[in-house]
Amino acid sequence: MKIKGAFSPDIIAFCCAQSAYQAADTAGSMRISYPENIRVIRVPCVGRVDVLHILRAFERGADGVLVLGCHDEACHHLSGNTRAKNRVQKANTLLQEIGIDGKRVEMFTLAPNQGSRFARIANEVNERIKELGPSPVKSAD
Amino acid sequence: MDSELRLGVFLCDCGNTLSKAIDFSTIKTDLENLPDVTYVNISHDLCLETAQKAMQKDIEDKGVNRVVVAACSPELYEKGLISVIQAAGVNPHLLSIANIREQCFWAHPDKTKAAKKATTQIKLALNRARFLEPVEKTRIPVNRDVLVIGGGIVGIEAALELSNLNLKTTLIEKEAILGGKLNQFPNLYPLQVNPEEMLAARLKDITERQNIDVLTSAELIDVNGEVGNFSARIKESNEEVVRNFGAIIFASGYNTQFSSQIYGFELSNNIITQSKLEEILKFSSEVKEIPKSVCFIVDVSGEHSRVSTLSALRNALGIKEKFGSEVCILCRNLKIDGAGLEKLYRDCRNNGVLFIKFDHLPEISKQNGKIKIEVEDVLVSEEQVSISYDLLVVEETSVPPPDSRFLSSALNIGLDTQGFYQENNIHLYPTASNREGIFFAGNCHADLDLMRALTEASNVALNAYQLLAQEKITVEAERVIVDPNKCRFCLTCIRACPHHAIREVEVDHEKMAAQIVDLACQGCGICAVVCPAKAIKCKDGSDEQILSELEPFGEHV
Amino acid sequence: MIIAERKPLEDIQEMITGYKKILILGCGTCVTICWAGGEKEVAVLSSQLRLASKKNGNELAILEDTIERQCEKELIEVLKDKVQQADAVLSMACGIGVQTVAEIFPDVPVYPALNTKFMGMPEREGVWVETCRACGDCFLDKTGGICPIVRCAKGLLNGPCGGTNNGKCEVDPEKDCAWTLIYRKLERQGRLDVMRKYYPPRNFQTVIRPGKIETLQA
Repeated sequence: MKIKGAFSPDIIAFCCAQSAYQAADTAGSMRISYPENIRVIRVPCVGRVDVLHILRAFERGADGVLVLGCHDEACHHLSGNTRAKNRVQKANTLLQEIGIDGKRVEMFTLAPNQGSRFARIANEVNERIKELGPSPVKSAD
Repeated sequence: MDSELRLGVFLCDCGNTLSKAIDFSTIKTDLENLPDVTYVNISHDLCLETAQKAMQKDIEDKGVNRVVVAACSPELYEKGLISVIQAAGVNPHLLSIANIREQCFWAHPDKTKAAKKATTQIKLALNRARFLEPVEKTRIPVNRDVLVIGGGIVGIEAALELSNLNLKTTLIEKEAILGGKLNQFPNLYPLQVNPEEMLAARLKDITERQNIDVLTSAELIDVNGEVGNFSARIKESNEEVVRNFGAIIFASGYNTQFSSQIYGFELSNNIITQSKLEEILKFSSEVKEIPKSVCFIVDVSGEHSRVSTLSALRNALGIKEKFGSEVCILCRNLKIDGAGLEKLYRDCRNNGVLFIKFDHLPEISKQNGKIKIEVEDVLVSEEQVSISYDLLVVEETSVPPPDSRFLSSALNIGLDTQGFYQENNIHLYPTASNREGIFFAGNCHADLDLMRALTEASNVALNAYQLLAQEKITVEAERVIVDPNKCRFCLTCIRACPHHAIREVEVDHEKMAAQIVDLACQGCGICAVVCPAKAIKCKDGSDEQILSELEPFGEHV
Repeated sequence: MIIAERKPLEDIQEMITGYKKILILGCGTCVTICWAGGEKEVAVLSSQLRLASKKNGNELAILEDTIERQCEKELIEVLKDKVQQADAVLSMACGIGVQTVAEIFPDVPVYPALNTKFMGMPEREGVWVETCRACGDCFLDKTGGICPIVRCAKGLLNGPCGGTNNGKCEVDPEKDCAWTLIYRKLERQGRLDVMRKYYPPRNFQTVIRPGKIETLQA
């Protein structure tokens, strides 16, 4: 039986290699802690993240998905972060359509040296997903 | 290619520090039980040469064909480890790294939970390894000629540097003569050389070089193709020629514009622009009525432009030199960050130029044929002063060259919010555009002083040389690949690619399909996501690889 | 090409209520290009429906496939085995494809996941506009290649109405006045005399619906 107070959400964080992945490293180097239930997946650019990846994450039992990329106008691939923003919006809509709270998917931007920002985002999102509770499609299999 | 997966797992405990929190031996035993894991090794220091040599030997001896490493961040040692596996005969793309230090033990104080996470991270790295694909290198012949657009001093300098590097260069200039702004400036302070001398020496050099071709009254119309293989249409006088190049350098400079809106008044015979003053100073011997007192106004908008500051300082000295007038410079701020610029400022002061700093825009009016200025002197007296000058020289705004909007659209290169060419990253790649093989130098993309602009001329020559040093460039072949059978030729990827790295090709003499240009592709994967037919695959970071990291999820309390 | 759009999800969910196994069938031609029903969209819809069914505790297995085009009998016939495994087919093709599949497999319910909207082209990435109404009697030779049936709010054939306003339409001020565009085009080509002729009211029955064209074997 799962006790609600002790719910540790499974959160996937797609991190772009140019910024967010390095920020996560910076957080570690500075020993700034964030919840260990955040799983980082490294992508070359946040523009590589597909709506399909986000939906599949929920199919596989994720409670929340974070997309972390470069700040506005700082994307090495110019339109990658804008496209990711649009796709996160689309994912929100697609999830809302089937009754899953769109707030479970969110995008943030940061720079490679923003270790504390990475940790802060991870902590805040963790709390937010905790409040939303486990994903309604958490599979038993 | 062998179809049997033989995974080799190398666990590193970072100088024994991680083994205090995690039991690698249990993990090793678990992993060794997996059918596709051939070898597991525990090391203390994979960053050191001895351990790496041992790793190489292990890979060779055990016939490992996919390598998984659990250690510190790939940002630190990925490249090094790739060299190791390459030396062992494994394709460099068949390495998967679990970041169990920076992104696990160092970030999570609860060591039990961290150890659990590390175990998961290692499992996921194995998952990913199972879907990794080799990518081979290939050598692509390239055209080694370079096109330089803009015959100002930066373009000239770039052409000379390229010539020094034995690259044949075509320099095009839309005016009838070379020189750009140096034909306009009366002096080049803080440089002690005068513009005519500087130009003359270089122009003589250019004409003597066999490998520089100069086209004047020539403009770029369009460019097709990609890096290593650009095909440029150039209009020369009234004829169009097509020439092929491996790289393109924009050194097209800037224009200046006076905005009466900012000032609230129009130009007249005693309110003139810097450009007009430069004309007067250049032909100073012909001046009939010498102004006894000249006032400059700089940094009205608060944007502190280098070009603007330097024009004022240079021309102030010019006036002192030629006419000996009284000179005052009204400024909000002066941008003198660059070699020799602080000295230029001091030279002005030492030559009697007055500086009055303001916060609020001075009030300017005409009185008795002179210019009356009311300004609050912020720095010295903190009082409102009223001064009167024969001549007021106003600054101009730097604006992009007139054809930049058109060329940006035709070539798919980005512009910044002001319409100047947008460099890739102002700190890391200041002279690169978003397209491989197209570079920017000088004021066509940034607000630079002459020394910086000349440095950029050398930079871009080296950028081009790095690309075109050899007749063939080694490139990773088909790191991102379009399946022509699935491609619908909807053009979505071609439109979406930020690097203009996808071309149209005919397949089997029948249908058209998209094709990735390996030399220009930067592996972002945007095309793979937007393709509505899922016809594009990124071998580094394929859907299968990404999705393999979505399972398993650990148990939660 | 044909431009279509996915139906609201609740409509699709209603169609497939009660089925335990469905085949979602994509089409590789028009609807792929307008991002409505290609392999990608099939994958996204499948994922959504799987998530929804898990959430609601329903049992739903989904098969996915995409064929070159769904308006070709031979290309559909090869799907026989897959179709037989399913209780229903959810077609992501335009109305033509849905009906062709339904005809080839009369025993299996075939549902439309898309609304077919119009014939058109991309204006820019992600934006499609209607440009042809298939009126059956093409008028474009007389209008410099700009169709007034589609682009004029009133479908006029002999020049603008009195409401033309600085090149914009009085019915929809966001739209360009088609006849202003036509005038400028013909002017540019030196063909304004084409506009000086009068064209009588058109016969909208040039095509007896449903349309059919018969030719001899080549």
